[in-house]
Amino acid sequence: MSQAHSAVEARHLVKGYGIVRAVRDVSFEVSRGEIFGFLGANGAGKTTTLRMLCGLIRPTAGTALIDGFDVFAQPMEAKARLGYLDEEPFIHPHLTGREFLDYIADLYRMPRGPERQQRMERLLGLFELADRDGELIGAYSHGMKQKIGLASLLIREPSVLLLDEPTNGLDPRSARLVKDLLEELAARGTTVLLSTHILEVAQALCRRIAIMDHGNLVATGTMEDLRAQAGSAQATLEDLFLRLTAGPESSALIERLLAPQP
Amino acid sequence: MSRSAVGIILRAEWRAWRNRIAKANPLRVVGLVLFALLGGTVFGGFLFALAAAAGHLLPSARDAMLAGAFTALSVLMLVVGFPSVIATYFAGRDLMQLVLAPVRSLEIFLARSLFAMSANLLVAVVFLIFVAGVGAGSGASPVYYLLALVLVFVQVLLVTALQATFMAAVLRWVPARIARDVAVAVATIAGGGLYLAWNLTLRQTLGSFTPRHQPDLSNLVSSLQRIEWLPSSWPGHALSAVIEGNTSTALVWTGVTLVFAIVLVGAAALLYERTLLAGLGLLGGVPSRWRTRRRKPPRVATRGAGSPGFAIARKDWIAYRRDIRRLSRFLPAMIFLLAYAVLLIRPGRGVDLFWNDVFVVSFVSLFMSMMFATTAIPAERRGYQLLRLAPVTAWQLIRAKVLFTLVPVLALTGVISLGLSIVGGNSPWKTLQVALLAVWLGVGCVCIGVSAGAIDPNFESSDDRRSVGIIGTFAAMGGELAFGLFSVGALALFYLAASLAAGNPVAGLPVSATPAFAVLSAVVAVALAAAGAAVVWLMLWLASSHLRGFEDSIATN
Repeated sequence: MSQAHSAVEARHLVKGYGIVRAVRDVSFEVSRGEIFGFLGANGAGKTTTLRMLCGLIRPTAGTALIDGFDVFAQPMEAKARLGYLDEEPFIHPHLTGREFLDYIADLYRMPRGPERQQRMERLLGLFELADRDGELIGAYSHGMKQKIGLASLLIREPSVLLLDEPTNGLDPRSARLVKDLLEELAARGTTVLLSTHILEVAQALCRRIAIMDHGNLVATGTMEDLRAQAGSAQATLEDLFLRLTAGPESSALIERLLAPQP
Repeated sequence: MSRSAVGIILRAEWRAWRNRIAKANPLRVVGLVLFALLGGTVFGGFLFALAAAAGHLLPSARDAMLAGAFTALSVLMLVVGFPSVIATYFAGRDLMQLVLAPVRSLEIFLARSLFAMSANLLVAVVFLIFVAGVGAGSGASPVYYLLALVLVFVQVLLVTALQATFMAAVLRWVPARIARDVAVAVATIAGGGLYLAWNLTLRQTLGSFTPRHQPDLSNLVSSLQRIEWLPSSWPGHALSAVIEGNTSTALVWTGVTLVFAIVLVGAAALLYERTLLAGLGLLGGVPSRWRTRRRKPPRVATRGAGSPGFAIARKDWIAYRRDIRRLSRFLPAMIFLLAYAVLLIRPGRGVDLFWNDVFVVSFVSLFMSMMFATTAIPAERRGYQLLRLAPVTAWQLIRAKVLFTLVPVLALTGVISLGLSIVGGNSPWKTLQVALLAVWLGVGCVCIGVSAGAIDPNFESSDDRRSVGIIGTFAAMGGELAFGLFSVGALALFYLAASLAAGNPVAGLPVSATPAFAVLSAVVAVALAAAGAAVVWLMLWLASSHLRGFEDSIATN
């Protein structure tokens, strides 16, 4: 593909379920090698947008492009370049970690041989799963499932990673490992679209950030862009997020909750 | 005054059930209700008439019939209702919340009882119709019907308590993660064994039946008399005593049944209190370790690119062997299949050996594909999303599943068809024909089965038996029956064409042995075979279209 294309492109994505609009006219682009943060409150439409981008949900309107390939018009080309990690990773409980990686590698037609084998061993070692040989994934803890899910993406080196809460359930050391790994992958040209609730992770990793609220994209840009948009030069990402996804202030809510009953 | 925990739990369950109905497709709900009403009326009416006729014509067998009916009800409930009992009492995710709340185990037991009994109650309705029919045929008084209603309900309660007690006992010996599957397998094998024994007795009894002679019931009656000590037959004796006007005997049998039920329900409640926490481990379902010893280094292919089709088949093969739940369903089903195949090998009077073999091969193909093929795609469960994300087309997935499922289906059908030919002394030519038919039927039925599963999958179900929806189940049954009938019909017409071409008229058929009729028969035979192939193609096309359009989210299971 020509380098002229963005790695990820959402063009006027809309998803409706009956009369409910889960995603309303969302458009953005992510450049090659960029880590792009995707933030929003629960139910804001982040997961729906990610699932439209990876081809799991067909948009009511709009187009999703991966490396210039339309996810629905050219699915084979787009999927071959894409890695998606759900917040609850899709795994096969009756396979061991090694067997699962082998399955994924075959599914994506990776060449067999010692190179693939070495890569698999390195990933299992990296995520501290190598000594779990013989243990079925179904018996893994949530964090371990998350790790094997990540390993199943990295085994095939996709050029675009769509990650929905990748550090969810990980211990602090593993979470740090994932952050470092994403930075390294981005430096080598992999594009990462990261959906997370952990604002510190987003602020530390992402060059640009998009914030969704009630299905709308309310802001997109660098921290400086967002600060300018909010009119506050010193605001943290948390301040910006709360301001852009306006609801009742938490102090007011707490006051109301703890107020003595009449 | 604080509200009772039982009431609160029941209300929450009721709301959840109501919400599920409200969320369902209204057309589907209406269709199901209409189907249930129509099917229930036809089937219920037939069963009632049959039971009434039996009650009227065979007064000497009334006691045996009623005792047998209650025993059969118990066995059927034991097998069919067991998963519901386990899921409701031990494995429901919401149990965690109830255990953490200030609610006593006895209250949980009582609140869950109604839902635990649901499957058993459905089975019991069928038997209630039969029991009512026997009463109607025997001219029973209204007391009979009232008592029948009470005793059938007591029987449901009794069997449910027995299942809870049995599960509690299993939990004492077997790790909780696999206890559910071990219990279901034991119950299914035990129930299946009893059912087969009953079926064999029935075949022996009715084997000599001709329209001019009544069947010899002595064998059946004596078999049932041998089991009259079983508590499951006591309500039958009570009802039979009511028909005969023997009040004291009826009271005794009713009394012992009620006492037995109270003892068993009490024991179940007591054991439940002690095993509820152990049972919560049932939420898992995957053994933590597959191999306990250090395994050999894995065999890894060293050349070529990975193949998605091969990868799916290999993954299925590994997962199938390790899925204890599937194995616990598979083994009893295989016992049934082999037992029926053996029973069917002996042809009825006047049935040609070759056509008997054709029937057995058709039966085995249909049975095997219903068991293996329909669940092939839904059994991917949440892992199906991996396939949707991968560069794999719907056709590639269907092809991989068909090829993987074909292996066991053709292997077993082939062994049975060869066995039949050897036992029956078929000629090599006829053996070849049966073998070819087995391959044709195997391929067609597996394609239809896999497609039906893809048309109406329930990826969220952790139980294979619920992994295909009603539409998929009917599509599989209808498609396979149509394909089987077209195929066997085509074979029969080819035979007719060959016979007519040789100048041999067929007795009973108003067709003369001329070349024109032979050609006509052959043409219709080809058309029927083509119609069978069209059914297969249509199902595959529908499956592919549905898989391409699938975009539901699949919850964790």
